[in-house]
Amino acid sequence: MTRYAMVIDLQRCVGCGACIIGCKNENNLPEGINWSYKITETSGTFPNVRYHYTPTLCNHCKFAPCVRGCPTKAMHKLANGITMHDPKKCIGCKYCMFNCPYGVIYFNWEKPHKFWQDDKPVIKGCTSSPKEITEHVKADTIPYYNPDRAETSAGIRPKGIVEKCTFCDHRLKKGLLPYCVEVCPANARIFGDLADPNSEVSRLLGKYRPFRLREYIGSEPHVFYIRGFNPGHYEATKGGV
Amino acid sequence: MKSNKGLFVAWLAVLVVGVILGLFTAVNLFVQGHILFNTSDIVIWTLPLGVYVFLALTSSGLTLVAAIPLVFGIKAYEAAAKRLVFLAIATLVGGFTAIGLELGSLPHMIYIMLSPNFSSPIWWMGALYSVELVLLLAKFWRLHVDDWSSRFSKGLGIASFVCAVFAPLIIGAVFGITEARPTFFGSFMSSYCLAVAVVSGLAAFILYGMVYFNITEGDIPADEQPIFEGLSRIFSYAMGIALLFYVLNVAVKTATTFPDFGTKVHFQILLALVVPYVMMIIPSVRETTWGKTLASAIALVAILGMHMEILLAGQVRPVGPKAEGLGEFVTYAPSIWEWLVFLFALTIVMLLYTLGERYLALGSRTAHAAPPH
Repeated sequence: MTRYAMVIDLQRCVGCGACIIGCKNENNLPEGINWSYKITETSGTFPNVRYHYTPTLCNHCKFAPCVRGCPTKAMHKLANGITMHDPKKCIGCKYCMFNCPYGVIYFNWEKPHKFWQDDKPVIKGCTSSPKEITEHVKADTIPYYNPDRAETSAGIRPKGIVEKCTFCDHRLKKGLLPYCVEVCPANARIFGDLADPNSEVSRLLGKYRPFRLREYIGSEPHVFYIRGFNPGHYEATKGGV
Repeated sequence: MKSNKGLFVAWLAVLVVGVILGLFTAVNLFVQGHILFNTSDIVIWTLPLGVYVFLALTSSGLTLVAAIPLVFGIKAYEAAAKRLVFLAIATLVGGFTAIGLELGSLPHMIYIMLSPNFSSPIWWMGALYSVELVLLLAKFWRLHVDDWSSRFSKGLGIASFVCAVFAPLIIGAVFGITEARPTFFGSFMSSYCLAVAVVSGLAAFILYGMVYFNITEGDIPADEQPIFEGLSRIFSYAMGIALLFYVLNVAVKTATTFPDFGTKVHFQILLALVVPYVMMIIPSVRETTWGKTLASAIALVAILGMHMEILLAGQVRPVGPKAEGLGEFVTYAPSIWEWLVFLFALTIVMLLYTLGERYLALGSRTAHAAPPH
């Protein structure tokens, strides 16, 4: 049985954010909603400081607290391990957001992409309005709408329900990689079947000691992080003396 | 009953204004969405949810108090039974109003029953409170037709009592199983919710009785006096337990180094719990109408405050990528729309109380001679 997982190589990741932008385009995400995002941290005191960048997305946990808590089974597990969300079943109780240990589920607080329905031009008599652009390209709601997303779920999720990363299940069905993996210029994301001992993800997890976010919770996340980018160098001493 | 027609009409006018404002709020919420609330992807459950928890637990508390005569057969409290059952119904309807507007969609509230997930405490909470409402309505109907002792009527009383025990435990479990939010996690929340349900049910009934009888009768009728004296005594014990729970919560919060517990302790809430407790353990204050009125009113405000404090403490610390660009904690204050949801839920409760008292003869069974112990 296939068990999809992702390995993120922090040594390769350059923190460019292409995964975030790619995901937003692929999944028609509205403003303020990021299925793929990042945690940035600064450690130390100037001039001895370091910047850390950790890309994030739904961890597709084996024991997903969001799935256990969802009252209507809108949040559910697929046989391949993907934690999937059914917008038709979602009642907007937000309990999955409450339960998610990783803060990767978002709520549509208002009508998504409503700015693209605005008929006021930026400069009156000079530029076109967002609505005119949308109508001109005969797009559904947004000019850059990706119809592929609607193949397995709602193309754009309506107001009053939650949404999250699906590992681009619509692309996986066609034998394609999740779009964040596809657009990563540093090839820092490796995607594959954890149940296959010969897959690249299995090989990397055997070769490097991985860590997962908030592992102690026991939800068994299926996004693994390996290595860490650090070009630093310091002179070896005996106890710093 | 001495009726004051002018006062009644004025009160109805206030309620009608409340209902109109509430309907206006509901329409706006359904059209514009929860952008009207001061919620975010960090603080996701706010005042409307707190009001729901408060009213649902109060309803359970009223049902539990009603069980004293209806399930445990303490006849001295029988005169209060019908009123208690009705108040439980009205309060629960108010709770459903708050949660309906929190969800922002009535079909969503109904759909929860059509696609059940039995591992979800939210589902059980919805199911138990829906069943409790039906049972309470049926029980009230039996009491209204003066059927106090048939097997069916008694069965309804027992079933609604069982529901009223488990529903608060499940509300606690909604919070208690969230591994992601350590301030909620554990069995504490379930026992806390059950204890607080009893306190708020008693406080609501005592306050209601004091206000209602003083307006309509000028004082508490002699045959009702022993009931309120007895319930005030139970209220003081229950307040003591709630106070203990709150102090325990504050003690854990202030003693642990776990970052999630680092939110501010609101000592005004502690004070608002201590004051009514002290008032109720002093016999000379407890026996007065003003003492009971003030203590129960302060207790209800304090309990809503407790619910909000606990609800927010688990949310104000951003999780994962949602913490980007934010401080360790975020702040929250309700928007005007959230206050309007609160007002609407409260108006519904008051309107049902008023209509029930007017048309349903809530005090139709007189108390037995024996005073409560």
